[in-house]
Amino acid sequence: MESRDLSTAPSPAAAAAAAAAAAPAAATAPPAEDEGVMSVTAALAKEALFRFQARKCGECLEFLHQLLQKKDDDPKVLHNIAVAEYFRDGCSDPRRFLEVLDNVKRKSEELARASLEQVEVVGNVGNKAILGPKGSSTVAQQMNSLNNASILYTDEFDSSVASFNIAVIWFHLREYGKALSILEPLYNNIEPIDETVALHICLLLLDVALACRDAAKSADVLNYLEKAFGVSQGENGSSVQQQSANLVGKLSSVPNSSLISDASNQESSVSINASEKPLSRTLSEETLDYETMLSTLDIGEQDAVRAMGIPSLVDLSRSPIDKTITAVDFKLKLQLYKVRFLLLTGNLKAAKREVKGAMNVARGRDSSMALLLKSQLEYARGNYRKAIKLLMALGVPTEAGISSMFLNNLGCVYHQLVKYPSATVFFSKALCSSSSIRKEKPLKLSSISQDKSLFIAYNCGIHYLACGKPILAARCLQKALLVFYNQPLFWFRLAECCLMALEKGLFKTGDAPDETIKLYVISKGKWRHLAVRDVPENGLTHLIENDCSLGSDGQLNLSLKLARLCLLNALHILNESESSQAHSSLPPDGSLDGTESTEETISGNSNHRTLPGVDAKPSNAGLGQLNANGDVKDQKTGTSQEITSGSLSMYEDNRRRQLRLMKQAILANQAYVELELENPMEALSCALSILQLPDCSRIYTFLAHVYAAEALCLLNRTKDAAEHLSVYMSEANQIELPYGEEDLEQWRMERIFDPEDTNGGILTANNFSSEETQVLMFLKPEEARATLYANLAARSALQGELQTAQQLVAQALAVVPASREATLTAVYVHLMLGNSQEALSKLKQFNHVRFLPFTCTLDKSS
Amino acid sequence: MIGIANGEDSYKLLKLLQQDSRPLREILADFDSAFPRSLRFPLCTSLYLILEDKIMLSTTERLVAFSILHQTYASHSLSANPFIRFLVNAACDDGAEKFERAFVVQLLESSSGIAKEFFNQSASDYVKGFDPLMHTFPALDQLQQQYFDGAHSESYNCLFKDTKVNNVMPDPDVPSGCDKNSPEFDLLPGTKPKLGSGDRDETIAGLLSNISLEGLGPQWIRPRPPRLPIQDGELVWLIPDNNHELLWDYGMCADTSRGAAVRDLIAKAAKGPLVPAQQEKVMMELANDPKLVYHCGLTPMKLPDLVENNPLIAVEVLTKLINSPEITEYFTVLVTMEMSLHSMEVVNRLTQAVKLPSEFLRLYISNCITSCENIKDKYMQNRLVRLVCVFLQSLIRNNHIDVKEILIEVQAFCINFSRIREAAGLFRLLKTMEG
Repeated sequence: MESRDLSTAPSPAAAAAAAAAAAPAAATAPPAEDEGVMSVTAALAKEALFRFQARKCGECLEFLHQLLQKKDDDPKVLHNIAVAEYFRDGCSDPRRFLEVLDNVKRKSEELARASLEQVEVVGNVGNKAILGPKGSSTVAQQMNSLNNASILYTDEFDSSVASFNIAVIWFHLREYGKALSILEPLYNNIEPIDETVALHICLLLLDVALACRDAAKSADVLNYLEKAFGVSQGENGSSVQQQSANLVGKLSSVPNSSLISDASNQESSVSINASEKPLSRTLSEETLDYETMLSTLDIGEQDAVRAMGIPSLVDLSRSPIDKTITAVDFKLKLQLYKVRFLLLTGNLKAAKREVKGAMNVARGRDSSMALLLKSQLEYARGNYRKAIKLLMALGVPTEAGISSMFLNNLGCVYHQLVKYPSATVFFSKALCSSSSIRKEKPLKLSSISQDKSLFIAYNCGIHYLACGKPILAARCLQKALLVFYNQPLFWFRLAECCLMALEKGLFKTGDAPDETIKLYVISKGKWRHLAVRDVPENGLTHLIENDCSLGSDGQLNLSLKLARLCLLNALHILNESESSQAHSSLPPDGSLDGTESTEETISGNSNHRTLPGVDAKPSNAGLGQLNANGDVKDQKTGTSQEITSGSLSMYEDNRRRQLRLMKQAILANQAYVELELENPMEALSCALSILQLPDCSRIYTFLAHVYAAEALCLLNRTKDAAEHLSVYMSEANQIELPYGEEDLEQWRMERIFDPEDTNGGILTANNFSSEETQVLMFLKPEEARATLYANLAARSALQGELQTAQQLVAQALAVVPASREATLTAVYVHLMLGNSQEALSKLKQFNHVRFLPFTCTLDKSS
Repeated sequence: MIGIANGEDSYKLLKLLQQDSRPLREILADFDSAFPRSLRFPLCTSLYLILEDKIMLSTTERLVAFSILHQTYASHSLSANPFIRFLVNAACDDGAEKFERAFVVQLLESSSGIAKEFFNQSASDYVKGFDPLMHTFPALDQLQQQYFDGAHSESYNCLFKDTKVNNVMPDPDVPSGCDKNSPEFDLLPGTKPKLGSGDRDETIAGLLSNISLEGLGPQWIRPRPPRLPIQDGELVWLIPDNNHELLWDYGMCADTSRGAAVRDLIAKAAKGPLVPAQQEKVMMELANDPKLVYHCGLTPMKLPDLVENNPLIAVEVLTKLINSPEITEYFTVLVTMEMSLHSMEVVNRLTQAVKLPSEFLRLYISNCITSCENIKDKYMQNRLVRLVCVFLQSLIRNNHIDVKEILIEVQAFCINFSRIREAAGLFRLLKTMEG
């Protein structure tokens, strides 16, 4: 105990020895503190610190090892040794480093707990310790402070720095969940933590939260940083308020000697004088003068007035005393964080203002980050040319890490411009560039985190998917698995790769099921026959057998089974996150009766309409309501916190909408996959769950009805199937359009939109090569209606209602003459009606008919 | 394609059919050895469909085909033969040749083992030796009764489900106006093929291999789900991470003596009043190190003692702890501790220094009022009531509390103690506030 408790001075002999030991060091050391006699250990610690600050890690370590001999196993010394070694050697083995820090932390906690137990013992013994000599009572007292609900360690046992350093490593290793699990407890009890460490904790937590796209947490930390560290954002991005001026003063001066503490000192001394006599007595005492009491209260009020002259913020305010951060730098840093937060939440208008402010602050400094964010802003707003221009203004970076990010961002822009070949080039260059980073020696943590190849791989995957290259896409996505495994969207995209591979016939077995009808021409002349081959050649049995395990080359084998698996994953993760969100902000799903009521509930709940600085976005599920520029419209200025919370609720609304859409998409794909796998029961249940979702998009509702009907037909429940198909039937026995052009907006959004290029016009699909648009397309409303007609016809034909079927299929073919299925249904109906001539002519008129000769000859066989 | 023979198999089968002079038994044995079991059903199906089109096969070929249909399933009971309905119907088909009907009837009867020598003749032998007078033709319902077994007849009624049709259709390519049945279009060996002529064998082979077991049915359109558009922010825009470096622990071997001194003093302060010099030292140290308050050894448990002995230090400490997560715990202790001049003073000063949660203040006031009502000693009660009134007036005048929140309770309190001057004063104050 004594060895740790510095209040017990070392014996004179020990002091002399220490002084001798420290003598050589003292020669180079700066003037000693005014305290005069310093304990040996403190002196050694100081020496080590100076060396560390000068980054002379070798010398620093020498001092630390001397210290270790004096204070055997002291966790803080061990900790600093580890840190110094890291700076000397780089971080080739972060796991080992983590082990050391974990040990340090555990040791600190053990010590704290041990002393806690000791206190309990002391408590049991009675008040002896407290009545005893001063030294021991000090110890006891100090221990008592631990006897507390949430254990507050005294400085000596404080392990917050070690915890922070562990979190730093996890952060650089991109283990954000682990970093969070360490940072959050620290943040929740941040008040007792030293200013510098607290600031670093907040900044790191903010980075982690932003990396996790956790807007709520980011907002919380951001607000706290602004309040506690005294920089208040000017609303118009210009005015640096008083606090930050204060901050400058604080930063240059020694902490805690500010006016505020002086004032409170005065206040307290005044109060002491005023209150000493009358109030230091208890109620039972005779002399209680009410006038005095009253006047005391009045004095108190005067004090209060003074106290209130200081804004209440000050009580919270901390003075960042980290010498590495100057006031302006800090302000810039905070503003950049804010921009990142606003970009995350999609409050682009506010982001624009903040970026402008940041550019002003950054003038004459390193403005690369501000420029990069500005470019991202323009990208998010759809001003792609401007985004490119800003990126180019940064200059082509030479450093591998930065260069890979630069190339990646260009890839994103070109992808959005639908310049797919260029985007491909940029993305693959970005991957090359980032793969070279890890080869640097010695490996620094920062270079580990600069390796963003996993993110680039994801972008690549999405890009290839959009280009219609499912196998390449899946390969890239597979690489990104490590970071994205807990994202439902990731699994969904992988499933899309499988479905696209199916569509393109890229499964290892069989051809693509195409849109043509194959007619085998048998023989000729009067003996000529035509055979319709309508069963796909790659019979489904092969697809089902196709295993979804990894191929021999470690690559995923795309298959329908893999698609099913991915979709299950996606749905599972989505449901998990929903249930965890449910008790936070979601309105109860009780009001399923209509879009309006749900909309009211949501907007009423988050009541973001009243918040300034955010435009009230319609929160219904209608797709593509976003203003194409992504801007928020009516922008009143609000306080910085109002903007933050406004952006937050806007983000949450958007996110909720996004998740809703994703759920519909997952279920629709599931239903489709189950139908392809000939599993109508599952398909039916997926389709029905889509129909039970509140605020379902009309497109997915349509798909759900069609899938459900088919599944029911396969289950021999043709009557129920008819119900699903005739929901769109009007009274006049006409089928209404299942959805409108406006419902397709979202599927069009991803098309090029570059106001500077086209004066705000949206290019039509005709401007693209067919390959590029093909993957973006979905059925037009009329085609969807024709699908319903065709399927109703097929159902009627199955029921033997041939005349009805004939009429229905004619209506379908009027819109989609190229539909293979509708044509075959028509052919079938004609054949059933005994009209083979009609059937033949229908087949022959079909656009995509392929006549194949039957070639096998007698000679060949014999 | 499921279970459909390839071209080679088709020709093999066709050759078997054409061997009209070999004994049927040999042909059937060849069929068994030439085709694996899995292929027999599809081939029989094709045969059956071709037999339905009467012009495709020659008479002898038809007989061979019939016997294949029959004998392939001869090891089972006749009613289990998938083609039994077809065979029965063929036996009773008035439009068919007599010898063909007789042949089928004999086939059906052969299963009872009567006529073993029946299969020793060839197809052409049979046609040549056929004597229509020797045969009687049983009626349809009689045969149906004989050979259909209720359980199977329905399911094998027709090979195709009712809803499917043959996927092969004749499409004769002859000059318009010509009769496609005219023999002029038959391909004669050795002559040059002319327009409209065709090879029947090729057709049969083609039919055998192209007829689909499933037939042709109505087709369902299964739209692909659209690819989900790229979501907002899905493409990751990359910016360099902020560089978080490892921190040095400045707390290593730090001097903690001053903190120890304060802890010592705070402990003393809980025992009894500190002298002014000590108080000042505590205040100064707390002001110098904003973190010290968290390490000064105070716990919620000890707060009441500190309040009673050193209210000003209590105020100072609580003010500094206002942002601590523990502050509510301290407040709870303060509310629930025994009412006293000092606790009131601490609360009063706190209201001036920081913004106290209003529910805390309300609770405290209720507590004050209850204490007043519960005191038995009249003299002590008067003192406490006066004190509470002064305290409340101070709170109200300084707008530290919203009068409306406590109005009813405080009014009742004033009326209850209206005999006391300060209570009456407070009541008047409330009235003016109301107005």
